[in-house]
Amino acid sequence: MSTLHNHILTILVLAPVLGAVVVALTRREAAIVQKVVGLAWSTGVFALSLLLVRGMKPAAGYQFLESAPWIPAYGITYHVGIDGISYWLILLTTFLTPLAILGSWHYIDKRVREFVVFMLLLEAGMIGVFVALDLVLFYVFWEAMLIPMYFLIGIWGSDRRIYAALKFFLYTFAGSVLMLVAFLVLYGASGTFDIPALAERPVAPETQIWLFAACALAFAIKVPMWPFHTWLPDAHVEAPTPGSVILAAVMLKMGGYGFLRIAIPIFPNAFVAFAPWIGLLAVIGIVYGALVSLVQPDLKKLVAYSSVSHLGFVMLGIAAFTTTSLVGAVYQMLNHGISTGALFFMVGMLYERRHTRLISEFGGLRRVIPWFFAMFLLVCLSSIAVPGFNGFVGEFLILIGSWKFSKALVVVASLGVILAAAYILWMVQRVFYGEVTNPKNEGLPDLSAREWVVLAPLVGLALFMGVASPSFTRYIEPSVDRLVIQLRERTRPGALPARDWTASGRPTPAPPALAPASEGNRP
Amino acid sequence: MIEAIDLRPAVPAFILALTGLVVLLSQAFTPKGKTSPSLGLSVGGLLSALVAVWLMGQGRGVGADLGGSLVADRFALAFQALILTVCLGTVLLSSSYLRATGLDRGEHYTLLLFSAVGMLGLVSTTELVSMFVALEIMSVALYGLAGIRRDRSESQESALKYFVTGAFSSAFFLYGVALLYGVSGSTRLDRITQAVAQPGDGGHGLALLGVGFLLVGFGFKVASVPFHMWAPDVYEGAPTTVTAFMAAGVKVAAFGAFLRVFGHALQPLAASWQPAVAVLAVVSMVVGNLGALAQTNVKRMLAYSSVAHAGYLLVAFVAPWAIAAPAILFYLVGYAAVSLGGFGALAALAKDGREPLAQSDVNGLAHRRPALAAALTVFLISLTGIPVSAGFMGKFYLFGAAVGAGYIKLALVGVVMSVVSAYYYLRVVVSMYMKDPPADDPWGRIAPSAAVALTAAVIAVLGFGAFPAVVVDWARRAAQSLL
Repeated sequence: MSTLHNHILTILVLAPVLGAVVVALTRREAAIVQKVVGLAWSTGVFALSLLLVRGMKPAAGYQFLESAPWIPAYGITYHVGIDGISYWLILLTTFLTPLAILGSWHYIDKRVREFVVFMLLLEAGMIGVFVALDLVLFYVFWEAMLIPMYFLIGIWGSDRRIYAALKFFLYTFAGSVLMLVAFLVLYGASGTFDIPALAERPVAPETQIWLFAACALAFAIKVPMWPFHTWLPDAHVEAPTPGSVILAAVMLKMGGYGFLRIAIPIFPNAFVAFAPWIGLLAVIGIVYGALVSLVQPDLKKLVAYSSVSHLGFVMLGIAAFTTTSLVGAVYQMLNHGISTGALFFMVGMLYERRHTRLISEFGGLRRVIPWFFAMFLLVCLSSIAVPGFNGFVGEFLILIGSWKFSKALVVVASLGVILAAAYILWMVQRVFYGEVTNPKNEGLPDLSAREWVVLAPLVGLALFMGVASPSFTRYIEPSVDRLVIQLRERTRPGALPARDWTASGRPTPAPPALAPASEGNRP
Repeated sequence: MIEAIDLRPAVPAFILALTGLVVLLSQAFTPKGKTSPSLGLSVGGLLSALVAVWLMGQGRGVGADLGGSLVADRFALAFQALILTVCLGTVLLSSSYLRATGLDRGEHYTLLLFSAVGMLGLVSTTELVSMFVALEIMSVALYGLAGIRRDRSESQESALKYFVTGAFSSAFFLYGVALLYGVSGSTRLDRITQAVAQPGDGGHGLALLGVGFLLVGFGFKVASVPFHMWAPDVYEGAPTTVTAFMAAGVKVAAFGAFLRVFGHALQPLAASWQPAVAVLAVVSMVVGNLGALAQTNVKRMLAYSSVAHAGYLLVAFVAPWAIAAPAILFYLVGYAAVSLGGFGALAALAKDGREPLAQSDVNGLAHRRPALAAALTVFLISLTGIPVSAGFMGKFYLFGAAVGAGYIKLALVGVVMSVVSAYYYLRVVVSMYMKDPPADDPWGRIAPSAAVALTAAVIAVLGFGAFPAVVVDWARRAAQSLL
């Protein structure tokens, strides 16, 4: 039992990989077996992740730490641990993966074995990103995750799937390779890849600027922040339902997470210099995403662009960097995962019934599929942040937390809240209200038992998070509070980083990059 | 007085040469209609040579030499082990390919083994004339191999082009050796190191000229731009398993010698040649990757990609030996496994003289040969440099070495070009996984021997990607033996 507890994070990363191997060894024809094994396995992983709930303490600092030498010659360690931020994101991942497999039970009807294998590998990669505390380890998971998602879009996507898959891959890959060079330069300046150690002793402010820019680009593409968002509508629209769900609910969170875990703590001075610009781009994203959503004829595209808008709120909260705004930002990440995940599920369900996603094809569905409508409306209310739902808590905390950062930005961002209500409710009106004008919409089946099982937990959680937010925020708050205090210490006027390097950005004398860290150069 | 000559460093090469002869003779004594035991004999010979290398690595024979013409330091032994493994992989991949293309003749194996003899010499000599001889042993056997498909004009073109450019580059190499001899009065690397460190009157210019010619010679052998023109045609025309051997084996051997001469012996002149190598690295990465982008033939694409990978490898030359050598050795391990696997996977599909060459030939391969498609995907991912793969870790070390030496821009070019490469490597994955297969299945079954080689390559690529420490430590020990 204690072994399980001490190595729970490693087990969480490896369990899905093992599941993928098991499924890969089944016969190709045994589709139903693969689905059942995939569902059972990912549910098992979720159950395992609930062990975290028992051991997690609402305190600052990393918990469930594990450390083992990985490439000792270069001081690269297998260092994993979680704080209040990654804790919830891991639970979100393990919670959504079984739902995504269940939600695509009929939608994925070809090459099921590969589908389940890629879903499980994706889960492992995502958990890995959230637990890694070593830059190289982080980067390995960060990149490795791209491959299964690339296949999910490229094999099971709709018509322009190959284009969308390549675009998704190249965009994110291009962003992250510059980050890799930044990590290498950082190693040259500091001699370590360890994230907590780097956050303790930031490098010289002049060095930080470029390194922060490289990392921020990688994370901004992932978020995605305007104007780096152009891959997102293509990827989302072409991806199959489970791909869209995972992409929106978990993978987009990695951008914001990257800022909080790496870019900001390691390059505090550079972040302070960049923060107004990040805030500005975030607000442009909020308004732009909302306006574009307003005019989308396609349901899935509408939801995709609404993500750009919602994640703008997250980035605004991060740019403001107060305890309140950060709690809001992390909370909003979880909210977006649940409400947008649910929206993608439901758009997928509509598509399975009608094989179209065009809003103009629908109308008056309220009376045809009343239960579906009820659930859809609840999810929409959560998405537009109506009080009582989870979205309200997140957006409200972000807006009041950012007030001191920039009143103008907050005012414009609030406009985004109104626009969100407009595009969502207008869409609901066109799809569900009025008369059934299209005869094809008559006699559509309402929610099946399987669909209830997929949606009920999501909607229940959206309501629960709306009324019981403290049970979530009490874990988030100590962790973000620590980030805020750290940042303030590092960037107060006159504060010098613990180690000072020359202005050239290279330390004197230059320690050889990737030089043997422990043993030295034996002649 | 006659000194006792220690022949132990030559044992692996002797074993291979002898095996080559036995394979050739076994043809003559095989009755008509029966297949000669070439495969078994070659595998046996290669395994014995590997054991010999391993035994020397245990301390017996290390450091012994024949006046510098053959040494068995850890650096040499590491490269020898890698070359023998590559050769073993090629032999395993060859047998089914040769049967499928009607080339099943013993001389293929003999030439392969002879070429490997040259490679072993190339990485384990510290004397330039011996190095030249080894280079020629390797190359002459390869000319024959490239042209072994006598009925195909592409194969003949390949052999001729390889021969002409090979001879051309040999002349450069030899001239460089002569100039360095003029400076130092010796062809031994240790003497040359001393001489170039304190050149006499006008010796410096002469030494630089010699270094320049050597650089051209090596540039041809590793196929770096602008000395790469031969590579696409030769790679395309040669039988695929021979291409695999060229891409993996020649690269390993040539970089082994390149590293020993430039990274180690010519280190006193590093400030002069490092900028030149940096330029070669940049143009190789750019031209190789952009060239590969334009190819529709998978073999040609991999040929250009091998030019690009020569560029990545050259990046590390700007770092000091203790960092560059392990990084390059690690990268070569991964690259050898991946090139063998990549070309080998294509070869394994050969049937009735046909093999997949155009990109559309692998359409829907994931339906018909899921395991092979998965293996090829692993190789392509490693070539792109995406974790978890040896290719990622290799690039990490190479670019890390450059960044540490202050050449950040070189690393930036490298990573940006990796993104370009993702496009053309993934195109093949697109064909295999996202296109529909043709109605009939034109490709052959995977032979067990090829399956063994490909499985081993996949395990190496993934294993060394996830647990690189084993190879890193091995490579560092090898590099330290020359410090």
